[in-house]
Amino acid sequence: MSENKTGQPTDDDDDDILLAELRGAVNRIDPVPPEMMAAARSSFIWRTIDAELAQLAHDSVLDDQPALTRGVAAPALLSFESAGLTVEVQTVRDDGGCRLLGQLVPAQAGTVEIRHPGGSTSVAVDDLGRFAADGLPSGPVSLRCRAGDASVDTDWFLT
Amino acid sequence: MSPLDPAVGDLVLAARKGDADAWDALVARFAGRVRAVARSYRLNQADAEDVSQITWLRLVSHLDQIREPERVGAWLVSTASHECLRTLRRAGRHTAADEGWEEGIASADPEVDTGILASERDQALWKAMGMLSAGCQRLLGLLAADPAPTYEEVSIALEMPIGSIGPTRRRCLDHLRVQLARITGASEGSPRRETPT
Repeated sequence: MSENKTGQPTDDDDDDILLAELRGAVNRIDPVPPEMMAAARSSFIWRTIDAELAQLAHDSVLDDQPALTRGVAAPALLSFESAGLTVEVQTVRDDGGCRLLGQLVPAQAGTVEIRHPGGSTSVAVDDLGRFAADGLPSGPVSLRCRAGDASVDTDWFLT
Repeated sequence: MSPLDPAVGDLVLAARKGDADAWDALVARFAGRVRAVARSYRLNQADAEDVSQITWLRLVSHLDQIREPERVGAWLVSTASHECLRTLRRAGRHTAADEGWEEGIASADPEVDTGILASERDQALWKAMGMLSAGCQRLLGLLAADPAPTYEEVSIALEMPIGSIGPTRRRCLDHLRVQLARITGASEGSPRRETPT
């Protein structure tokens, strides 16, 4: 809120008042849904300090040339890197949810816990470092990978 | 709210140490802004929920790495924008579509009784928003988040220079006044009050 030298209300005041009115209207007509607030608050239970974070290093959806075909659910290829382990993930959406294929580099056996806000699923990693899961709910996922001495969490991504 | 509000930085530091109340306070302060970003990209309700949730999950996993805790709002807006763009790309759309305000995320119907009384004035404002250009809807929708975003955050979300936000805001609010006057038939028709000379 500002005033000019004469103390008269200014155009800026009018704008501030109208925007405040709009803010109130949007808040009353279309407030942030309570379930969205609840999901945001409950995200905090995923805070861990024991596992190393594998950061997103490559994401085909944003890093590669967009597909020429519109509306086709092309697979997303993501790569997460930590000091000792790289996790490569491919996700494909279909009617039954999401299919996920993964590869640990260097290749080695282990387990992967696929964590999502609704719970988690554990899958085995074969000797070639490969793992797969079907029918995952679409939405945020993080992979907790255990192989040898390494325990690595990938950053969260949308399937 | 100051863009460098020290309290925000303190909340981030407290959450880092495991303080759940501090986390809830961050959510209370920024959830509206994150959601407004999703709305500005015209995501449907389900996609907006995913973007909101992944933005907060990302903050959980990156809490220790946030370099400027007092600017966590900019970090959240940037992360949310990134995920919105990714969601559009994934769906084979390359930019925020030009769906209208009401066809987009805003599935809320002002006529529906939500238990909260929206006044006639509220409904007129809502309707007037729907008549603006997509660009104005995006800007005003974001600026109308509660609490209000900083210009830095708006600049990040809409990929527009900070210097052009003020003039565009002014122009869009003028358009809003015009549409509002059409709807209400009131005498608010003049784009802005004549400043006494």
